[in-house]
Formats: sequence, structure tokens, C-alpha cells
Amino acid sequence: MSRAVVATGIGTIGAHGAGRERLAEALAAGRPLAMEIDRSGGWHSPAGSRYAALAPVLDLTPWLPSAQARRLGRPSRFALVAARMAIEDAGIPALDGLRVAVVLATSFGAVAFTEKLVEQILIEGPEAAQPFYFSECVANAAAAQVAIGIKATGANVTLTQREAGPVLALARGAREVAEGRADVAIVGATDEMTPLLHGLLDRFHATARAEDGRDEAARPFDGGRNGFLAGEGASAIVLEAEEAARRRGARPLARVGRTASGFDPTATASDWGHGGASLGRRLAAMLDGQAPLESIDRIVSGASGSRRGDRLEAATLRAAWSGRSLPPVVTPKAVIGEYGGGILAAGALAASGARFGFPTAWMAPDPEMTISPHDGSPLDAPRRVLLTGLAAGGAAAWAVLERI
Amino acid sequence: MPGADPGPLPTDIVITGLGAVTPFGWGVGPLWEGLRRGATAIGPFSRFDASRHRTHLAAEVPERPSPDRLGPRVSLADRLAVASAREALGHADLDLRRCPERAGVFFGSSNGGMLESERFLEAALRDGRRRARTSAIVSQQLNGPGDAVARALRVEGPVETVSSACTSGAMAIGGALRALRRGEIDVALAGGADSLCQITYAGFNALRSVDEAACRPFRADRAGLSLGEGAAVLVLETGAAARARGARPIAVLAGEASACDAHHMTAPAPDGAGAAEAIRMALADAGRTADDVDFVNAHGTGTPLNDAAEAAALHAVFGPRTGSIPVTSTKALIGHLLGSAGAIEALATVLCLVRRELHPMPAAGTLDPAIGLDLVIASPRPLRRSRCALSTNLAFGGSNAALVFTSAGRA
Repeated sequence: MSRAVVATGIGTIGAHGAGRERLAEALAAGRPLAMEIDRSGGWHSPAGSRYAALAPVLDLTPWLPSAQARRLGRPSRFALVAARMAIEDAGIPALDGLRVAVVLATSFGAVAFTEKLVEQILIEGPEAAQPFYFSECVANAAAAQVAIGIKATGANVTLTQREAGPVLALARGAREVAEGRADVAIVGATDEMTPLLHGLLDRFHATARAEDGRDEAARPFDGGRNGFLAGEGASAIVLEAEEAARRRGARPLARVGRTASGFDPTATASDWGHGGASLGRRLAAMLDGQAPLESIDRIVSGASGSRRGDRLEAATLRAAWSGRSLPPVVTPKAVIGEYGGGILAAGALAASGARFGFPTAWMAPDPEMTISPHDGSPLDAPRRVLLTGLAAGGAAAWAVLERI
Repeated sequence: MPGADPGPLPTDIVITGLGAVTPFGWGVGPLWEGLRRGATAIGPFSRFDASRHRTHLAAEVPERPSPDRLGPRVSLADRLAVASAREALGHADLDLRRCPERAGVFFGSSNGGMLESERFLEAALRDGRRRARTSAIVSQQLNGPGDAVARALRVEGPVETVSSACTSGAMAIGGALRALRRGEIDVALAGGADSLCQITYAGFNALRSVDEAACRPFRADRAGLSLGEGAAVLVLETGAAARARGARPIAVLAGEASACDAHHMTAPAPDGAGAAEAIRMALADAGRTADDVDFVNAHGTGTPLNDAAEAAALHAVFGPRTGSIPVTSTKALIGHLLGSAGAIEALATVLCLVRRELHPMPAAGTLDPAIGLDLVIASPRPLRRSRCALSTNLAFGGSNAALVFTSAGRA
């Protein structure tokens, strides 16, 4: 059984605020949503990163009552809000009687509660460990809370494949629907950024920093890029069988086309590798046939400003397109940062014709890569959008979203 | 994928290799010997100082007999994973270098390298935050074990880590089954790895879910789980690929499914509805019925609520036949391996299926009449019929997973 699968709703929360409209505005503006992160804990290197794309304090009560929010870690809160927002956006009146799968990705899980729990254990002693922190710090807490919150009794899967996770979640959720195991799938990603996690990413030189007279900013594909903008939040997308969506009068945003994933064994545990040629062949094989290269007219790239990650992304795309011109490439992580799943919502918005501005912090191309983010000029709505996600550690995932 | 023309797809997915590192030792051989013996490996341990914890027992993997040459910046969970994968691949007599892009890794892990992260944080608290060496946490990530296997074996196909608590390993194996059936790959290394760490040890103790003695699944006086560590890997291939290279299938992975209770974060639905749904769907996926199942390797943690819910699920699926289906729990012998539990129990299920003998649980504890299961206790049970077996897992957050294995003769 293989059914056509469509995205019918988007929910998103992050540095851009809450809702697809806020995200679309931010992506159109192209300005990084950076704010200063608390460095007083002493985790950062002295000359290290100062900014992160943090979710502001928002009134989430329309989707999550305060009493319920207090019982959840931030990744669970983000995820449940995004899921309810996506269901609302999809216009599904009730999920009763539907088999609903939840597939969420997270890179780091509930970091704040994990930190608190470990500190309790190490400083106050194991008996001081609070059960609430423990149950909320397991990696699948967010997916479970979404399931409990919306009564989703289908498969409940948490994928932890770093930066490839959101695209892998989209693919796995789409298969749940395509192969008939679910009527609806809520797919997405959630993450939080804490001072400790940010400090560690800084010490690994993963995040951007002020250097050589340049301000601290994520500059995907830029010759002077030196790291990403760490972000947080959650995005969720509602997937349904196209036939069922049309039957209930929904207006689908995009159809999920082909998906693929691969691995670059030249990567290290904490960085990207140099296997772009091999990954490019895999990507080209995915695009061969029903979604040929020529039909891809937008790339929503997972490039983040990472030195090696962007180089690998460029090499992969170049290898897949093998000498042909790439379609316009947009880089939402320059605005909303890495982590939190905004890339998924950005992909769905791109497929439904949203405009992406030029990343304002961008300065000059990297002569090695010769890819520049799209200049922000208006473009026709794309027929097919390629969504990419290459992870530190070696995993890679791609998905095609088709205009309807 | 939707819209794709899949062509003729493989229908039979066979197991051609097994690898494991468990508290019984490094390798499948020591595991099977330990399982047959039926004496628990749960006891005092030294992975970390447990003296300040409420309980003091766990099932710990013994020292590795020889170095693994993976270098110093690798977590224990990664090491267990890579050792298991190498053993499984050797057992399958398979060389992935011939076609690395047709191979995938599907792994479950709940903690990744949390043990090493705790050591980093301990050093940070002791020596100062800027002095603590970040090299200690390089492979702390949840995707660490699966990625480590893929890097060590130069895999270029899909790599997917599931972190759905205690169902992670089973769901990872299920994901591999789907990828093979879709024809995305010809071979998968599917399994899981987790090491003991303080956060889970203290966390389960905080929930009062850990037994002060070794766990006693399904017994009347059961008082909680026992934690363990280890890894297991199954080599899965399409039947066609295995036959083409002359490999002899060990067994068939016939079906998988998962379902969620959507009930409570830490307690299963008392009626076991989600677990029952997962079992029914897995049997349907395998083209089998409840009557076909010859034995069950149950999740069987030893917590009062889990065992009651799981027993309810088995009764719901098997009806009056429930009391005559032999049931065992591998956790009684090696503890709860969390993200790796589904993988090691799948492997134990395959061993029992193939060797036509169900491993026992220790004799400790009195039978719980409310459970109503035919538990295999004290000594191995020869299986008159051993053609179809079920392995179940229930997890935090209400996630449930079931795998169905059949003997290779019926592939």
C-alpha cells in the first residue's frame, strides 16, 4: 500500500514567535533572530559565542493551559504547542477515531532538566533526584506528551539523529501514512538551548563567534563563516493521506515526494565529514525518476554557517547536480538558527510559495563552494522543493515537497 | 515512499547474524550459556559508586577481554555497539565493503554516552567549569552508538537512531524491517546499546521503580526493575540477498508494529490496550494469528504496574490460550537494558526459537495468580513447537512495540 501524503498544517514556535505567519515574516526579512544568552554560568570560552535564537516568553495558553505547562519541560511544551497549532492549522475538527502517529526528532532532549537532575545527584546525592525531572528528561518525553495531549495512539517515535533528525522524522511519518499504518502523522522536531549546552557547542567551535572584525552571525555558504546560530523551539507538520484530506475539504500545503537518507562514514562523532561525492550520488539517485533534478526549483538547505557542514552540503549538492546550475538555495537557519525543527516548517512554507529574504548577515561567497543564498528577489512558487539535513556525526536526509 | 514506483519488493526478511555484549559476557555464546543457566547476572556493580543510591544492584558488562582499538574518545555504549555489530557481521559472514550504500544501521539508545557526560559534569563541578575537558563528552549524544557502528563498518546507507525509551531497540529493528521491505537497502544492522549511568539509576529509584533485590518479573512479590547494560545487533537481509550470497538464514523477522497508550508519562494503561494493539498489528503484519504464537519473550520488567498491564495485554490478544503459552523475561537475568532492551530480547527470542528451548527465569519469588501466565522458571523449557515467537516491549510515555519472528524453515 502506498498512498500520496500531503502536509495540511504547520505549527511552529521559536525565536520567531508562535505560528507560521511569524515564521514567514522572519524568513522574508532575513535578519538573524539572535539574542544574548546567559554566559554567567562559566561554561563558555571567554571570546566565544554570545548569541542564540531563543524563544521569547509567549502567551501559549491558547494551546497549553498554564497548569499543564508547569508539569512539562520546555521541549515538551514547545512540541505540544506546535502540534496543537498544526492540527488547528490543518482544520481537523477532531482526531477521535483516527489513528494518529507522532514522530518527533530531538538533538539533545530536555537539557535543562537533565542538567538539574545530574546536579541534584552529584551535589545533593541521588536521593535528592526528583521524579518529575527524570520522567521529563527522557528523550521521548516530548513525543509522549504530544501523544497524551492529543490522544494519539499510533506509533510514537523519537528520532535522535542531530541535524538530520527533522527530515528523517518527516520521512518516517510520511511512511506511516503512505503505508496505511496511520491516518494522520504529526511530524516535527523540538529542542531547547540552555547556557550549558550553548557553552559546550561554543567550546567545540560549533557556534558562530565574533572574529577577524566580523560580528557574530551565522553565514551559510559564506567564505568567512565560522559556525551556526544555536536555536530552539519546535515545529510540527500534520501529514494526511491526500485522498482523505481532500475528502474533508482540507487545502493541502504540499505533497510529500521522495525521501532518502544516507551516511558519511568520513565524519567524526562531533563534526561533518568530507564524503560529499558519495552523498551526492545518493541524493541524485533519490531524485532520479519521479522527481528529476530539473524539476527541483528550490532548495531549502540545512546549511547553517558551520565550516565543515556547509562545505559538505555544497559538495553534496554539486555532486548531485553534476555540473548543472543549482536552483535558488534558501538558508532558513541563518535566521532561526540550528535546532528546533524550524527547517521543516520553512520547507513546508517554501513549498506553498513563501518568500525568503536574503540573509542580512551574509558577506561574501566561499570560492570553494560557489553557492550563495538566494538574493531575496521574488520567485515563482516552486514546483518541487528539496529539503536537506546533514548531521554532525555522519547522518544525512533529504525530502522533496511538491507544490499542489 | 508515496509516489514512487517500488517495483517488486522483498517480502521475506531474514536474520543472518547475531552479536551481543551483555552482563553475561562479550558475545552471543556467553549470553546463551547464561540464559540457559537461569542464574541472574544482577548483583553488586562498579560502573559508578552506588553507595549513596537507594538500591545497590545492577547487571554490569564485565571487562572486555581485549582492547577494541576504538581510541579513547568513545563512550562505553559506542564500544558495546561496535563490538556487537562486528560479531554479528562476522557471524553473517558478510563484507559490507562490497556495497556500503546498500547497507543501513538502525539503532536504539536511551542514554547514548550519558555515563561519560556525567563524568564530565562531575569534573566540572569539582575542578571548575572551564577546566573540565570537553573531550570527555564527544560521543555523549544519543545517536552515538548507531553512528559509531556506521563509521566503524563504513556504512553509507540510512542510519537512524530511535530514542523511545524501552521500546527503542524494538522500534529500530522494526524500522530496519520496513526499509528492507521497501527495497531501500539489502542489509541492515539493527539493534541497540546503552550503558549504566547515574541519571537512570537515580531516576528510576526516585520513582521507586527499582527492586532492592534482583527483579522478579510477574511474581506476586515483585517490587521493581533491575537496571543493566549491554548491546545487541541483528544482521537483517532480504531473503533474496541472503540466498544470492549463499547465506543460511537463522530465522525470519516476520512482523513489527508499535502503538501508544497516550495515557500517562510513567505508568502503562492498566488494561494494556496499547500493548495489545501493537501485538495484534505485528501479528497481522507477519501474516500470522494469535494461535500461531509458540512462546513470548515478554517485556517483564518486574514493576507491579508494567507486569500487570503486559499480562492484561497478553490475555486480551491470546484469550483462553494465554495460560498455555510459555512466557519468559530476559530482564530477570540481565536486567533492564533500556534502549537496548528490545534488541537484546529480540536476539534472545531468536536464540530460543532456533534452539527450540525457552530460557528460564530464576526461581525467586512466588507466583502471582492474578497474572495467569505460564512462566518458564528455574530450568530451560524444551519447545515442542517452535515456529513463531513474539517479543514485546513497553516504555515510558506509553510507547509499545512488538516483533514477530518465525523459524527459517517457514520463510
